[in-house]
Amino acid sequence: MSYQFTVSMLPLALAALLSGALAIYTWQNRQSIGATPFAIMMLLVYEWEICYIFQLAGTDLPTKLFWDKLMFVGVVATPVAWLAFALEYTQRRAWVNAGRLAALLISPVLTILFILTNELHGLFWTRVSLTTQGGFFLLDNINGPWFWVHALYSYTLITIGLVVIVRALLRWPKQYRGQMSWILFATITPFVANIIFVFKIVPILIDLTAFGFTVTAIGLAFALFHHRLLDIAPIARDIVVDGMKDGMIILDGNRRIVDINHAALQMIGLSGEQKYIGRPVAEILSKWPELVAHYRDVLEAEDEVRVGEGPVQRWFQLSLSTLFDENKSMIGRVITARDITDRKLAESKVQESEARFRQIVENASDLIYRVDIHGHITYANPSVVRLLGYVHEGELLGQHYLDFVMPEIRHQVQQTYRNQFLSKTPTTYNEFPVVATGGLEIWLGQNVQLIYEGEQVIGFQALAREITAIKRALDALRLARDQALEANLAKTRLLSKVSHELRTPLGGILGYAELLHQNAFGQLSEKQQKAVSEIMESVGYLSNMVNELLDEAQLTSNTATLQKKMFSPLTLIQQSTSGMDILAKKKGLEFSTYVDPAVPQQIYGDDHRIRQIVINLVGNALKFTKAGSVRVNVTRPNEDCWEIRVTDTGMGIPKESQARIFEPFRQLDPAITHENSGVGLGLSITKQLVDLMDGRIVLESEPGKGSTFTVLLPIK
Amino acid sequence: MPKPLAFIIEDDPKLSAIISITLDDDFELETCADGNTAMQRLETIVPKVVILDLNLPGLSGREILKHIRSCQRFAQTRVILTTADNRKADTLDNDADIVLLKPISPAQLRELALRISSMP
Repeated sequence: MSYQFTVSMLPLALAALLSGALAIYTWQNRQSIGATPFAIMMLLVYEWEICYIFQLAGTDLPTKLFWDKLMFVGVVATPVAWLAFALEYTQRRAWVNAGRLAALLISPVLTILFILTNELHGLFWTRVSLTTQGGFFLLDNINGPWFWVHALYSYTLITIGLVVIVRALLRWPKQYRGQMSWILFATITPFVANIIFVFKIVPILIDLTAFGFTVTAIGLAFALFHHRLLDIAPIARDIVVDGMKDGMIILDGNRRIVDINHAALQMIGLSGEQKYIGRPVAEILSKWPELVAHYRDVLEAEDEVRVGEGPVQRWFQLSLSTLFDENKSMIGRVITARDITDRKLAESKVQESEARFRQIVENASDLIYRVDIHGHITYANPSVVRLLGYVHEGELLGQHYLDFVMPEIRHQVQQTYRNQFLSKTPTTYNEFPVVATGGLEIWLGQNVQLIYEGEQVIGFQALAREITAIKRALDALRLARDQALEANLAKTRLLSKVSHELRTPLGGILGYAELLHQNAFGQLSEKQQKAVSEIMESVGYLSNMVNELLDEAQLTSNTATLQKKMFSPLTLIQQSTSGMDILAKKKGLEFSTYVDPAVPQQIYGDDHRIRQIVINLVGNALKFTKAGSVRVNVTRPNEDCWEIRVTDTGMGIPKESQARIFEPFRQLDPAITHENSGVGLGLSITKQLVDLMDGRIVLESEPGKGSTFTVLLPIK
Repeated sequence: MPKPLAFIIEDDPKLSAIISITLDDDFELETCADGNTAMQRLETIVPKVVILDLNLPGLSGREILKHIRSCQRFAQTRVILTTADNRKADTLDNDADIVLLKPISPAQLRELALRISSMP
């Protein structure tokens, strides 16, 4: 093999170098749309050009044929790569799948096979020969039938790619038209070069097709990587314009549609953008003639327009601007429309709810007002205006809230709200008097909340109510309570005094009667003894009554106190029932006491009062029991309490009377007889004492069978 | 064996007489009708039992009781406090040996006086 390289091959070498570099560079940037097939195409062109250089440099037929055949790998595959690039670049990538690619490659593969085996059949070249021109050896082959199949196939693929690209380019925005024509030129170049060579239109023997592809490559690569044009341009309209949610219509000077996107059509209720291009805009907007009429001669607008009625009503943000050319003459208008129905609905909801709340606030009988951070009134509802004796809210606005507060307590009120502000207490409630016009004193009870703007407190909001009447009623009640307490105390003091004054003479009567009874003043006759006994019994009764009255008085006036100490329940029961058994025996009753060992030996409490309770209950039981028994049982039902249970077999208490039995001055039988003598305070006192001890008294009774009084007392 | 001394401090002459008659058989008696005089007498005598009325003209029974309880001289002295006011009776429970609510039963008084005077 011998070669003859000449300077005239340098441009071809440079083209090959450039193609190779572009292949590498594009491959590195293959995330760009169409970059992968583009890189492959450049690699094929590179191979084509390199082989072509060696073919040209070859000085004998076999050498030239070897490189020529090798070159055809690039020649046959380049149109396929070109088509793949064109399709991918114009968003038809999905079309290029493995099956279709394989189908597309059938013809190129066959071509290569025919070329390799051309010596056997001459289908590709009918004659292979060398010729010389200007001192160069050149291949001068005569193309066979398959060559033309190959040529037709290649042209077809290149043409399809070209059409696809041109169609995409035509949709580019106007400002890119310059680049567009340039790119168009770039893509057409190899096609033209090839036609020139194949059909020998110009008498040169060097194939310029590969050069043509290099020009294409430079043009496209420049656009692709320098302007990044190829990244967006072909999809700019489709994706940006059709993809945008805003409707867009471009009109020419005669109000005909130049472009319209999906969103615009959808808003109008149409589809298929192509068929509306060139039509008057009034035609497609015939539904809304008033809109067309209104904007007929408007050059610039930014409006919110409403179309339709009822449930299909929609709101659009319409913006209209006019396009001018370099000579400032109008060439058309751009209309964009944004569907703002949802926003409008939300807005109207907000307005509605605002109106609703305003209505509530304005019509509230409660006083609602706001003050700024300095205390100046910024809002007052009609109730506030009315209460303070004004007519319009305006008269109050700007006034200081403290000016309405009673002068004597201004400082205190101011301090209260200053503290709320400083401590950032969210809500406070305060009551204080304010002065309305005319000096009328009005009491307010008001909740005050801090108003925030972000982190910062910008004022106070008050929700208040006039409480003058309540305040007065409360004062009256307080006075009445104090008076009642006073009266009660006076009553207690009186009773105390009375009982003291009664007891002193009783002391004289009882003392002398007893001394007489003991014959301290000489022996008494039997009759005299009996009379003295009667006196003593009466004194005893009277003395009991005085005690009970005093107890009751103390308990009802809450002046009774407990004297607590440790005591033995066993001793207490023994002491308080000593003597009771004598009384029981006298009446023929069985009498027993039982203290359960579980009851603590020492309990903390008022033993005097507990003794009084036991004496009362046992005394009652003995008094009202004619036959049978009276039993006292002391137990401990649980950890926290102990229990004194007095059971008798007396007459019992009817259900209807059970509830009233603990009321003062109550006895079952209101008739005063010897049998039920007593003021009827015993059980009332007992119950009140038990209550005072945080205990509980329970009555179980059945008429004719007997009664059980159970006193439960806490163990502390 | 000499009879123990009972000091009766009672402003009601009737009650004073009743108590005197009641205790005459078993006690040596001293009587007094007001607080101030009682205090003076207590400077010279050391009674075994004091029957002390709470409500007295002059110094009150409460103050006399406090004085008795604060002097070592009266360590052996027992006090029976008498009162017509059961509330006061409650509060003095711990200071007096016995509190008797008026009206007082002479028999009960005699028994109690004898019992506490025999205590050490």
